[in-house]
Amino acid sequence: MFPVPMFHDLIGKGMRGMRDRIREIELHVLEELEKRLSPEDLQELKVRTMGKKGTLTALYKEMRDLRAEFKREAGQMINDVRETLEKAFADKEEVLSDLMLKKRLQEETLDISLPGLPVRRGYRHPLTLMFDEIEEIFLAMGFSVAEGPEIETDHYNFEALNLPKDHPARDMQDSFFISEEIVLRTQTSPVQVRTMQQMCPALPVKIIAPGKVFRYDDDATHSPMFHQVEGLLVDKGVRMSDLKGVLLLFVRQMFGEDREIRLRPSFFPFTEPSAEVDVSCMICGGKGCRLCKGTGWIEILGAGMVHPRVLEIGGYDPKEVTGFAFGMGVERVAMLKYGIEDIRLIYDNDVRFLQQF
Amino acid sequence: MRVSWNWLSSLVDLEGYTPLELADILTQGGVETGAPEYLHPGFSGVVIGRIVAAEKHPAADTLRVCQVDVGGTPELGGTSNRQIVTGAVNIFVGDRVPVALPGAVLQGAVLPGAVLPGAVLPERERAEPVAAVELRGVVSNGVFCSEKDLGLGSVGTERSRDGVLILPTDAPPGMDLGAYLELDDWVLDLDLYPNRADCLAMIHVAREVGALIGRKAVVPVLASADDPWAAAGLWPASGQEIVIEARDGSRRYSALIVENVAVEPSPIWLQNRLRAAGIRPISNIVDLTNYCMLEQGQPLHAFDLDKLSGPVCVRRARPGERLTTLDGMERDLSEDMLVIADENGPVAIAGVMGGLDTEVTETTRRVLFESAHFQGAGVRRTSRRLGLRSESSLRFEKGVDAAGSGATLERLAGLLAELSAGEPVGFSEQIVDIPARSVIRLDVCRVAEVLGVAVEAEQVRETMERQEFACRFRKAEGRDTVFEVEVPTYRQDLKIEEDLIEEVARMIGYDRIPTTSPHSLQTQGTRSGEQILRRRVRQGLVEAGMHEVVSYAFVGEKNDGAWGAADRQIRLLNPLRDEMSVMRTSLVPGLLGIAGRNVARQNSAVTLFEIGNVYLAREPVVQNQPIGELPDEVMKVAGVVCGKEVKHWGQAGAEYGFFYLKGILEALGVRLGVAFRWERPVGEALLHPGRSADVYVGDSRVGVLGELHPEGAANWDLRHPVVFELDFRMVAAAARANGHELQARTVVAKGYPRYPSVQRDLALLTAESVAAGDIEAGIRVLGGALLQRAEIFDVYTGPPVPPGYKSLAFSLQYQSRERTLTDAEVDEANQTILRGIQEEFGAERRMT
Repeated sequence: MFPVPMFHDLIGKGMRGMRDRIREIELHVLEELEKRLSPEDLQELKVRTMGKKGTLTALYKEMRDLRAEFKREAGQMINDVRETLEKAFADKEEVLSDLMLKKRLQEETLDISLPGLPVRRGYRHPLTLMFDEIEEIFLAMGFSVAEGPEIETDHYNFEALNLPKDHPARDMQDSFFISEEIVLRTQTSPVQVRTMQQMCPALPVKIIAPGKVFRYDDDATHSPMFHQVEGLLVDKGVRMSDLKGVLLLFVRQMFGEDREIRLRPSFFPFTEPSAEVDVSCMICGGKGCRLCKGTGWIEILGAGMVHPRVLEIGGYDPKEVTGFAFGMGVERVAMLKYGIEDIRLIYDNDVRFLQQF
Repeated sequence: MRVSWNWLSSLVDLEGYTPLELADILTQGGVETGAPEYLHPGFSGVVIGRIVAAEKHPAADTLRVCQVDVGGTPELGGTSNRQIVTGAVNIFVGDRVPVALPGAVLQGAVLPGAVLPGAVLPERERAEPVAAVELRGVVSNGVFCSEKDLGLGSVGTERSRDGVLILPTDAPPGMDLGAYLELDDWVLDLDLYPNRADCLAMIHVAREVGALIGRKAVVPVLASADDPWAAAGLWPASGQEIVIEARDGSRRYSALIVENVAVEPSPIWLQNRLRAAGIRPISNIVDLTNYCMLEQGQPLHAFDLDKLSGPVCVRRARPGERLTTLDGMERDLSEDMLVIADENGPVAIAGVMGGLDTEVTETTRRVLFESAHFQGAGVRRTSRRLGLRSESSLRFEKGVDAAGSGATLERLAGLLAELSAGEPVGFSEQIVDIPARSVIRLDVCRVAEVLGVAVEAEQVRETMERQEFACRFRKAEGRDTVFEVEVPTYRQDLKIEEDLIEEVARMIGYDRIPTTSPHSLQTQGTRSGEQILRRRVRQGLVEAGMHEVVSYAFVGEKNDGAWGAADRQIRLLNPLRDEMSVMRTSLVPGLLGIAGRNVARQNSAVTLFEIGNVYLAREPVVQNQPIGELPDEVMKVAGVVCGKEVKHWGQAGAEYGFFYLKGILEALGVRLGVAFRWERPVGEALLHPGRSADVYVGDSRVGVLGELHPEGAANWDLRHPVVFELDFRMVAAAARANGHELQARTVVAKGYPRYPSVQRDLALLTAESVAAGDIEAGIRVLGGALLQRAEIFDVYTGPPVPPGYKSLAFSLQYQSRERTLTDAEVDEANQTILRGIQEEFGAERRMT
């Protein structure tokens, strides 16, 4: 690449010549070194100077021809220069490697504003989220999760719940019929009786029963299929105040620590006394707003003390045990919790809707 | 039940309460009451005028100039007559009509009675006040108004439909129209639970209100209210024979015979009360039956006695009998329907509606008033079957107090006299039985046990007596904490002790009940193994990027039959719509529908799944024959993918194809500890034959996976959708068999080899028909213990691979747990594999 001067051609042999050549090499190499800009070029120069066949190394051989008294001096000189050069090479190497690193970092710079690689994930349906949340709260309170058939006999769906045929209360629950005796269950309450019959005489019976229910209804606030969670506690000495305690705990975990509940007398054929349960409005906190229609309260649950007749059908003696039961519409809870205004959105399953949860 | 505030005030003192407060008290007391409605539509300055004269307008053919008496005080020198120019054609001299005087506001007037926070008022903008105007040179000092002008419903006579509202002939000129129609009134709408049939009567609403606010209701005093047998003594026995043939359908039938009947419009107060309750006034006789029903809760019916012949009989309809009801419809009666019949046949459908032929008309002179009890269940069935509901059927369905029929006739007789509408001359009655007041034991200790709040015996007594229930100590028990409570017959909802405990709670207020924790033993709440696995499946699919959907369990018959099991399909007797007519036997059509809907809305990347039941009849379903036992509810998990991942700058998106979904299922299998096997399906018509698989666990077929058959995909408007459906129960059973039902998955952890592994690639050329999976399995067997992993990393067809062949490249990893492997060992193992594969599959090593 560049001419290599042949020092010994220019300068005479002998000590003076040797001295000059050592100096020459030193100067020349130091000068060259400055020009080298890559580690490879630098290495090449180093090899050519101090490698086995390097110019400086060659001088050790020539030294043998010198007179003895100069040998020591020359050796000393070469060693000094070698040391100097090695240091120079090392310094330069460091400078160059710093430079190279900087350059590399420069080249490797990313546009950090670009979006990251996608992590694909799916979403649980909002109803499932609600079920999970409700179940977790009651599991922690010691309620187990029970289930029952979605297509039920008239017996379990109505009769066993103290709703004989032609009872006017059946109008509250317009049914889908499969046959005279088989209906799509209109409530999760049949699971109450099925569970009691299964567990009797064990105590306590302490379950929640989530599931699908069906009623002949279809508009912005009613879906022909919807979901409920039923709760049941049967034991010796269960009181209505316990019902209130359990529901207050539930409501506070579900809707916030500041919530209050209010019970109002109501009617369900399978509970006596019966209650409608309101929760203080989660939007206005009870002052009155659009959501609670100015009342400060929102109806979320039906509940009551299990009717003695239902306990009997379940196999228990109403003189020995009492119980409470409650039921809530999961869609309603989801609509309240997520501000869903039309129940049909829940069953439309548009991906854009589902991806919010 | 619509309850007029003014009417209610006449029965119980409401001083100090606003309608809104009362509505709230009722709701808190268990009688849900909506926001009170103010009856006045919001006009002011409108008075009743009597048309004294009407002459043609001198300058306009279509106008008349009327002189109208609007009251006033002529004796003070002023004239009360007003001149009003009108274009109305339905008015005559002598008519009483509403006159809007100058300054009157026809809508949106501010009315003092309506100023009540929180009340629902008709939202109408305030209209410009009426002014005196000159019409073609004649001054008009006001305008006549129609019902519509005033925002009123139908309140006038028949002629009012043609224009100006025509008021009754006794309407006093000069009186404010709102006052005349008693529009300064509120209506409380009670939304009654089925147990409170008593609150379908004003007197019992008054009692309920009285009990809740601690004031005694003052209701009309009737001898037969206290003694249900007393009615017979009030009038002479009539010759009218009454027969209750269907003794299971009616407990009592009482009839009051009234002569010298004068059928005419009711006085305005009566009309006003009916209108407030939502009932249209018709004539005094009919109105009185309705009024008594509203007040006493007992429906009455008036027959024109001259049109009845022979005994009045309560019986079931006979085959082929028909009746034209009051609404003019001819009805076919079936044999389980209860009717009232005379000797010529049915004259009324018991408790539902009377017949047209025996209706009371203007010419009626003698009336038979029926006050009867009919069984609610029968009335309910009949009225549903006929699609005919009335105020009467509504009450019978919920239960009418058979003890009250005499009292209602007694009240009717009083009102007939008051109105001079007729003269009771005789009474006939047939009684099957009359309910006695029930006596219920009420233990004060039990009240505390059930409610969780201590209530003093005296307070318990007080809550009973407030409701007019007689309450005394039960001496027999020797404790002064046990009462016996005598419950009036109109409270049919009170049968057992718990019913009374609710009454105590209602009266003291549910807010008195404290919040406590159950004494029950500490229990551990658990989920069943299947529930746990279901959650794990859901979690797995969600983590794999799939969205969960929930769809209706009832679907259209055809699509479902094709996918599921047409012969096990259960049909609804009363579906909402055709596409919701059967219970699903497969989840797939529902998912495809949802996928199609999403794609149509440009949600092009679709990855959906559902976990839910399908419903299978236990026997093949015979056409038109309902199933005899509950169906098998089989939980399935199914999914659909379609389209491709959303484009991203840094990563080519995956196609949502067969292998995408297969990968998700494989991962699910790992999660559940279940090894799925994939077999080419036999006879699968709905899926692409070359791109589908039957999914097996062991020897059981647990589901399918595959791309839709191109023809089917077109029907759903989807491009290459891939679906799967697995029988969750079978998968769960397999998982359980592997111990995977616990919350934490059971894992037996192994260490890993400490010696280095050796990697070899193996490229094979094989016929296209050979399954890669088989070769892979072969390699695993041939590789023996040293082969740690064998994975296909490339599949290639096309030049230079000859047609009919494919190139498969495997990455093999050898490793020993005991030592570092030598090249020679690995080479030998590789050779063994190659030779074996060559022999078994005819595959050749492909040199690259």
